[in-house]
Amino acid sequence: MFERLLRAVASRWFRLILVLLVVLALQTTLFGDLRPFGYAVQVLAIFVACAGASHDVRIGLLVGLIAGFMYDAVLATPLGVSAMVFAMVGALSAILVQPFRDPPWWLRVMAVSVAAAGGEVLMPLMKSVVGLDGWLEARIAAIAAVTLIGGLVLAWPLLAVSRWTLQEKLTLGR
Amino acid sequence: MLALAAVFFITLDLSGSSATGGVRRAFDTVFAPIEGVTRVVTRPISTAWKSFRNYDDVVAENDRLNEQVALQEGAAVAAAASVRLAQELLALNGLPTLAGINSVTAQVIGETPTNFSQTVEINQGADAGIKVGMPVLNAAGLIGKVTEVFSDRSLVMLISDPDYALSVKVVTKSSRTPVTLPPLPTEDAPTVDSVLETTDTSSTSSTSTTTTTILGFTPSATTVPDVVVAGAGTSITVPIASQLAVRETGILEGRGPGNKPVVRFLDVSTRADAIEVGAPIVSAGGSRSLAPPDVVIGIVSRVVERLGTAGPVLEVELVADLSNLSFLRVLLYQPITEAGR
Repeated sequence: MFERLLRAVASRWFRLILVLLVVLALQTTLFGDLRPFGYAVQVLAIFVACAGASHDVRIGLLVGLIAGFMYDAVLATPLGVSAMVFAMVGALSAILVQPFRDPPWWLRVMAVSVAAAGGEVLMPLMKSVVGLDGWLEARIAAIAAVTLIGGLVLAWPLLAVSRWTLQEKLTLGR
Repeated sequence: MLALAAVFFITLDLSGSSATGGVRRAFDTVFAPIEGVTRVVTRPISTAWKSFRNYDDVVAENDRLNEQVALQEGAAVAAAASVRLAQELLALNGLPTLAGINSVTAQVIGETPTNFSQTVEINQGADAGIKVGMPVLNAAGLIGKVTEVFSDRSLVMLISDPDYALSVKVVTKSSRTPVTLPPLPTEDAPTVDSVLETTDTSSTSSTSTTTTTILGFTPSATTVPDVVVAGAGTSITVPIASQLAVRETGILEGRGPGNKPVVRFLDVSTRADAIEVGAPIVSAGGSRSLAPPDVVIGIVSRVVERLGTAGPVLEVELVADLSNLSFLRVLLYQPITEAGR
């Protein structure tokens, strides 16, 4: 019993929850305050895209779903809206790098940025689907552009974090 | 499978299930300490960023506000006296006033982390008596309503959010032109004696109902006189009863950041030219309203006439600056429509 508990705590999914809590906290505090051109960089979406780009579609979907549910829990949006969008972001970034056998780092960064920016376009669409109208307007382009640039800056360190978080066996040093 | 799970939760949440509220509260219990620590750690970075970006604006605004405070100090005293008088009159007539509603002061501790909602986070929650649906004001006027309550913090949806709607009144002028009488020459102005000497010649001694008619005064009239005599040397604007402020009602809707809220569903018979730019907009109140009556919201900044049977649409300039919120007041008034949440 105790061994099973230890194994669960040591699993990558438990580690993922802890890392996502920290990233979410950064999103609601630091990245909620720092608003280049008036728009918040969606670091949580970028992290999800990193998970997809550094692993596969299945991991991207799962990480996106978990991160989205956590995001919805702290926002006033219906539980599940961000989950759907982030799942698509994770899957999209994985699909973008899938055709390449060993994609270089800059290609992953590009894929992450594009997927995260795509998430910012999908979010108002999904809100409209569930009846929360009023967000489909021209400023989406500016929001997506800010997230795209944010992705180009943050993707590289977050790719390393997502790789460490989601690796099967944790190795600390040699 | 994952999509189905998400759709299931969306349906559950939109149907108002208490289960999703429980999930949010449970997650908040875990997340709040982590967010608190992160806020403390990242605050210097946020502050440095804001200092870098906003320093010039803050200095200019400080100068402007100093001048504005000096201008308004005198007016505030007179206004306070008028407000007190109005509250006493409303209380005498048994009408609801804002003064009778308790409130909780709160501070804004965070902005929305997403680009697709207009909310702020405040540092008071259920422990202070705050409930979902309560209206939130700042020193200028209404800014929104509480949409999510945790034990020691709450989320406030701003009035500019597209999901926000509130019944409002627009105080308009009457279509009738005010009657302004020109000043009489001093020699033509009636004196007190001449006024009192002018009596109703129709009265007779037999009926003993002699009526004294003073120029410009109609006995028993409690509103406005039919016959008006101008005073000497000054213009007098005479209000006609039908010329008093008319209140058009409509629904105020947010339109997202950068867009002014609008008022729709005004009476179809309302002519656009009957509503002037600058007319004040206040909450309508009523048993099903989200806010008590007469909370100041803003002024009309543009009137858009529409063809057909659709009434005019009004663009609203909010009196509260939503981009710069610090201390807020939550009125402990829960609308009937939000009761039990």
